[in-house]
Amino acid sequence: MKKFFLLLKKEIRELLTPLMVLPILVTVVLFGAIGKIGKIESEKAKSPQTITVIDQDNSSLSQQITTALGASNFKVVSAKLEDGATLAQTNNSVAYLLIPADLEDKVQSAQSPTLELHTFVRSLSASASTKQAIVKGAVAAINEAVSNQLLKSQTSLDPAFAKQPIHVDEFVAVADREAHVSYEEVLGFVQSQTYFIPIILFLVIVFASQLIATSIATEKENKTLETLLSTPVSRQSIVAAKLVAAGLMALLFSAVYMIGFRSYMDGVTGGLSMDVQGATAEALRSLGLKFGALEYALLGLSLFVGILAALSVALILGAFAEDVKSVQGVVTPLMVLVMIPYFLVMLTDFSTLPQAAQWAVYAIPFAHPFLAIQNIALHHYPAVLYGILYELAFFLVAVYAASRIFSSDYIVTLKLNFSKKK
Amino acid sequence: MSQHILEVKNLSKHYGALAAVDDISFSISEREIFALIGPNGAGKSTTLRMVTTILSPTGGDVLVADHSVHKDPAKVREVISYLPEEAGAYKNLRGIDYLTFMAGLYAKDAQEVKESLEFARGLTGLGNRLNDKISTYSKGMTRKLLLARTVMSKPKLAILDEPTSGLDIINAVEIRKSIKDLASHGMSVLLSSHNMLEIEFLSDRVGIMNKGKLLEVGTPAELKKKYNATNLEEVFLAIVL
Repeated sequence: MKKFFLLLKKEIRELLTPLMVLPILVTVVLFGAIGKIGKIESEKAKSPQTITVIDQDNSSLSQQITTALGASNFKVVSAKLEDGATLAQTNNSVAYLLIPADLEDKVQSAQSPTLELHTFVRSLSASASTKQAIVKGAVAAINEAVSNQLLKSQTSLDPAFAKQPIHVDEFVAVADREAHVSYEEVLGFVQSQTYFIPIILFLVIVFASQLIATSIATEKENKTLETLLSTPVSRQSIVAAKLVAAGLMALLFSAVYMIGFRSYMDGVTGGLSMDVQGATAEALRSLGLKFGALEYALLGLSLFVGILAALSVALILGAFAEDVKSVQGVVTPLMVLVMIPYFLVMLTDFSTLPQAAQWAVYAIPFAHPFLAIQNIALHHYPAVLYGILYELAFFLVAVYAASRIFSSDYIVTLKLNFSKKK
Repeated sequence: MSQHILEVKNLSKHYGALAAVDDISFSISEREIFALIGPNGAGKSTTLRMVTTILSPTGGDVLVADHSVHKDPAKVREVISYLPEEAGAYKNLRGIDYLTFMAGLYAKDAQEVKESLEFARGLTGLGNRLNDKISTYSKGMTRKLLLARTVMSKPKLAILDEPTSGLDIINAVEIRKSIKDLASHGMSVLLSSHNMLEIEFLSDRVGIMNKGKLLEVGTPAELKKKYNATNLEEVFLAIVL
């Protein structure tokens, strides 16, 4: 055991180099920074937007439109027809609205008046879509004001009731539990809680696999492997030390990535969907969708065993690498196997895939942590447990195979040097 | 226990139809320095790798201090120490950390680690440079560090593959002296080299290999006399050509 810890310490020192740690930290800091920028942008979007209104009607209806825009988080600036467009440009309005002189007359004679909304394109970035929502909001506010006025003048009905006479109470069922909550709220919450996990899992598996394969390739390239193999240390200890060191690194980087993504998500969503309060929180809890200690423990276990399974395969693949340059080549099959479940889980409804495709995915041990995320949320616990058991069995077989390779000639004779291919 | 620290018996290593080592036998006594010489691809390194348990023989056996590489490779690794050709060290470690790590793999307790380190410190002659990272060492410094690492645990049998390859004359001479001195203090040495001058200076006995076969074994003096040669180089050429 003493020798194992010596080897483990050596492996960690070899892995924890500035060259290895720096890119990870930079990624996390960048994610945090992007999150912060996102936060600033979303706060900007929430602040009142200027809209210039050129009112040629000057009627009570046109006044109501202006008031409605003000109530819908717009800062209304009135202007004359001659200089309205110029003023809207200079005061940084999202748009200017031209109300025709015949607005009220036309509405009263049941004809549709035409208002002109001139929107300024000042950027084509992702935030332009926010502007689209703002403009739509302006149109909705105008229609709301006009239809309210119409309903009031033509009927004795409350405009709010007339527009939405039926109230729908939404209930959502998950397995055998049901709660008074909207489907939209449930979906938003579950996705906000879990959608960054596959990304982290993907990154960590790829990273840890490269790490362990590189550690073997480095030993071969620096000619330290033969020395190590001739020392009075069991080959199992060598394999175990490499696995545990890379496993610990994977855990460390998972935690670092998790913090980075969390701050990114908090920034982008303004922390809204992450922390649901009140009745919605209670409903989610009664549906069992709010992950508790057991759910997180199950997910964590599935992730950890999945990473171990990937590491054990990378250990075998690493034995084929003659030098560090050839690592990328030998671990490519593993990357592909990780990508398949990642994209399938992220982009498709796994349960509706053809049976053959589902079983093919089940056969990939690293697919189970991806599947576990949804299975835990939907309370399919047996599926999660079978997945963990399969991952564990796969890991044990692969580790046994790896230690056989390390105990045989293959560890020094296996060679696949992609870097020399021209 | 036999008086031989190493007994190589009808040892073979075949890769399919290719016989890298073909039915060779020799032995090494305590305090003896035995050298394997031969052209590239003769099977010297493969023989050393089988003695160190890195490769498995396809025929015959190797006994190191009466432990078989087939039956008890773990015991064999406890009494040997191996310096591969062009071996490197962990570049991110400091010289002293590397020695401490390697000493820990052989030593039974902290006292043994301490003794090994003291011995290695003197042997490397690197002084305070041992506190620097190995990545800053020259080739000669690294080779001295590695040789000290190989012998610091006082193995019964040190296996040295081209111990002075790539070194300048001064470093090579120092390393040869160290090997000779260590053998006189009880360590047996199995080495391979292309340098006939080195072999003649170091070795008690020499084995000449070609195409996987061991063609001659004897002291340098015996071989020179047998082949009527003035030096080992002439003996080597007479046998191999």
